[in-house]
Amino acid sequence: MKAIEVNGLSKSYGPIIAVSGLDLHVDEGEIFGLLGPNGCGKTTAIKMLLGLVRPDSGSAKVLGRKAGSKGSLENVGYMPQETALYEELTVKENLKLFAGINGLSGNEYRKREDEVLDLVNLGERRDSILSTLSGGQRHRVSLAVSMVHAPRLLFLDEPTVGVDPPLRANFWRTFRKMRDRGLTIIMTTHYMDEAVNCDLIAMMREGRIIAQGSPSEVMSRSKAGNLEDAFLKLSREEVKV
Amino acid sequence: MRPGRAFLVTKRIFWSLRHDPRTIALMCFAPILAMCIFGIAFSGNIENVKVIVINRDQGAYVPASNMTIRISDLIIDNMDEKKLNIHHMTDENEAIGAVKDGKYSSIIIFPEDFSRSVVNASQGGGEQAVLRIRSDQSQVNVATEIVQTVTNAMLKTLGDRGMKTPVAMDVSDPIYGKGARFIDMFVPGIMGFVVFLLTTLLTLISFVGERTRGTLTRLFANGLTEGEIVTGYAIAFGMVGMVQVGILLTVAILLFDIMVVGNPLIAFLIASLLAVVSVSLGILLSSLAQRESQAIQFFPIIILPVFLLAGIFWPREAMPLWLRPLSYLIPVTYAVDALRSVLIRGWGLADIWVQLLALVGFAAIFLTGAVYMLKFMRGR
Repeated sequence: MKAIEVNGLSKSYGPIIAVSGLDLHVDEGEIFGLLGPNGCGKTTAIKMLLGLVRPDSGSAKVLGRKAGSKGSLENVGYMPQETALYEELTVKENLKLFAGINGLSGNEYRKREDEVLDLVNLGERRDSILSTLSGGQRHRVSLAVSMVHAPRLLFLDEPTVGVDPPLRANFWRTFRKMRDRGLTIIMTTHYMDEAVNCDLIAMMREGRIIAQGSPSEVMSRSKAGNLEDAFLKLSREEVKV
Repeated sequence: MRPGRAFLVTKRIFWSLRHDPRTIALMCFAPILAMCIFGIAFSGNIENVKVIVINRDQGAYVPASNMTIRISDLIIDNMDEKKLNIHHMTDENEAIGAVKDGKYSSIIIFPEDFSRSVVNASQGGGEQAVLRIRSDQSQVNVATEIVQTVTNAMLKTLGDRGMKTPVAMDVSDPIYGKGARFIDMFVPGIMGFVVFLLTTLLTLISFVGERTRGTLTRLFANGLTEGEIVTGYAIAFGMVGMVQVGILLTVAILLFDIMVVGNPLIAFLIASLLAVVSVSLGILLSSLAQRESQAIQFFPIIILPVFLLAGIFWPREAMPLWLRPLSYLIPVTYAVDALRSVLIRGWGLADIWVQLLALVGFAAIFLTGAVYMLKFMRGR
C-alpha cells in the first residue's frame, strides 16, 4: 500500500498560491523529503495531508484513507516545526498525554516511554520540566512525542531547523533506524545538503514541484554536483520556461 | 467524541496547574482577596459622622408630661451616638462655613417653634413642624444615613412621649432575608463575578497560548476533535469554579458571618454551570486574538458590562429602564440571581429553574459556538 497518494492538491490564501497541483506518491518504508526554500508551500502541503488545512482542490490519501477523514490520523505521527509541547509539564507528562490521545493503554505506554526516550537519548531527563531543557533537548522530546504511539507514518516539519550539527547527525541516525523498522517518514526541509539522506525527494518552488526522484537522480538530471546547485539550476530553468 | 480523550484534556490542565503555583495562587487567593476587599469595604456601617446641631427651639408645654420641655433636646438625646458625632453651634453661617470646609457633613437646624409645632400637630392642629437638614450631598450615602438617624430618633422620641405620628411603619417581619445586611446580598454577586471573570480570562489566555505555542495544532494532528478539546476545558474549569465557590463561601462564612439559608450544594452547581459558560466564552473570544497581548485588550470588554449590568453591586431596578434588557444578555445576571435566591431566600432547584435553564442555554450556545469557531479556524 502507498503511504501517501496525492493528486492535484491545491491551496490558495486570497491571491497567494500556497500549493498548486501537487502530485505525490510515496511507498511505505521510505524517507521522503519535501525540499524547498521558506514559504514554498511545504508546511501547507503537510498540513493538508494531516487534515489541518482544507485544500481548495485535489485529493489526498494517507495510509489508504482520505486525508482529513475520521480515523485518517490513526498510525500517523506529526512533529511540527516549533516544539509545540506543554512547557510547564515534564517530559514524561507530555509523552503520556499524547500517548493517551492516541489510545495507548498504561502498559503499552510504559514500554514505549523507555523506547522513545532511549531513541532520543533523554531517558534521564524524563522527570524534567520541559522549559528547563535546552532547545535541542526540547526538539528531541518533540520527536519522541511524535513517535510515542509507534506510528506507521511520521510527518516531520523542518525537524532539523535550529539543531546543531552533532544533534542533526543523531537525528538522521534515528530516522534511518526507524525507516529500517518499516516506518515511513515524510519530512520537509530547506537544508538541501542534508536531503541527500532521503530515499526520495521532491523539490518545491512557489507551491509547485519542480523535480522528483532519488537525490542522485535529481542531481544527475540537472547535471549538478549537489542538491543546492540542482535546485538553483532547476529554479532558473523554471523561470526561463 | 471519545469521553476518555476529552478527560485527558482536563487532566492536562490539572497537570499544568500542579506545576504552576502562581496560577493556583491566583485561582485561590483572588477569590479570597476579592471577598475580603469587598467584604470589608461594604460590610462596614457608616459611623462617627460629624454633624452640627443648631438648636433654636424654645420649648412647649407637653400635656402628656404636664411640663414645658424642648422636644428637640429629647430627639438629640435619642440620636445614635455611634453614628452621629454631634457638635453644637448657634451661628448658621459659621456652621455652613464648617461644612464647606469639609470639617462636618451636615447641619441639623431646629427652629424656634419646633416643640410648639410638634405638640400642635400631634393634637391635630397648627402647622407641621419643620426640621431642616442641610447636608454635603456630595456624599449621598452619608447624607441619607444622617436623615435616617434623625428620623429614627424623632419617631422614637414622639413614640416614647405618646405623641401621634401620621404614619407608623413596621418592617420587622420581612418575607425573605430577615436580618440580612448589605454583604449578604453582595456575596452571591461577588461569587458570580469572580467565577465568571477568572474562568473567562484564564481560558482566554491559556487558549491563545495553545494556539501560539502550536499545541492546539498538535492536538488536532493527533486526532483530537474540537468537541473533545472544548469538553475537556469545560470539565476542568467547571471543577475549578466549584472550588472557587467553596473558597468564597468559606471565607464569607468565617470572616463575614454571611447568611446561608439554602443548600450550598446548589450554589456549587450554579457556579460550575457559570464556569462552563465562561470557558466557552473564553474559547470563543480567543479566536479573535492572535497573541496574549491582544487577549489582554479584551479584559475591559469582559469585565465592565458584567460589573455594571449583572446586578452584582446594585439592583437592576436602579438601572435606567432602557438599559435593563441588556442585563438579560449577560449570563452572570442569571447566576447571581440564582445564587442570591438560594443563599438568602433559601430557594431550591424547583424555584430557580428559569435561571438554571438560562445558564444551560447560554452554555449550549457558547459551547456550540466555540466548537464551530475552532472548526472554522482549523479549516483555514
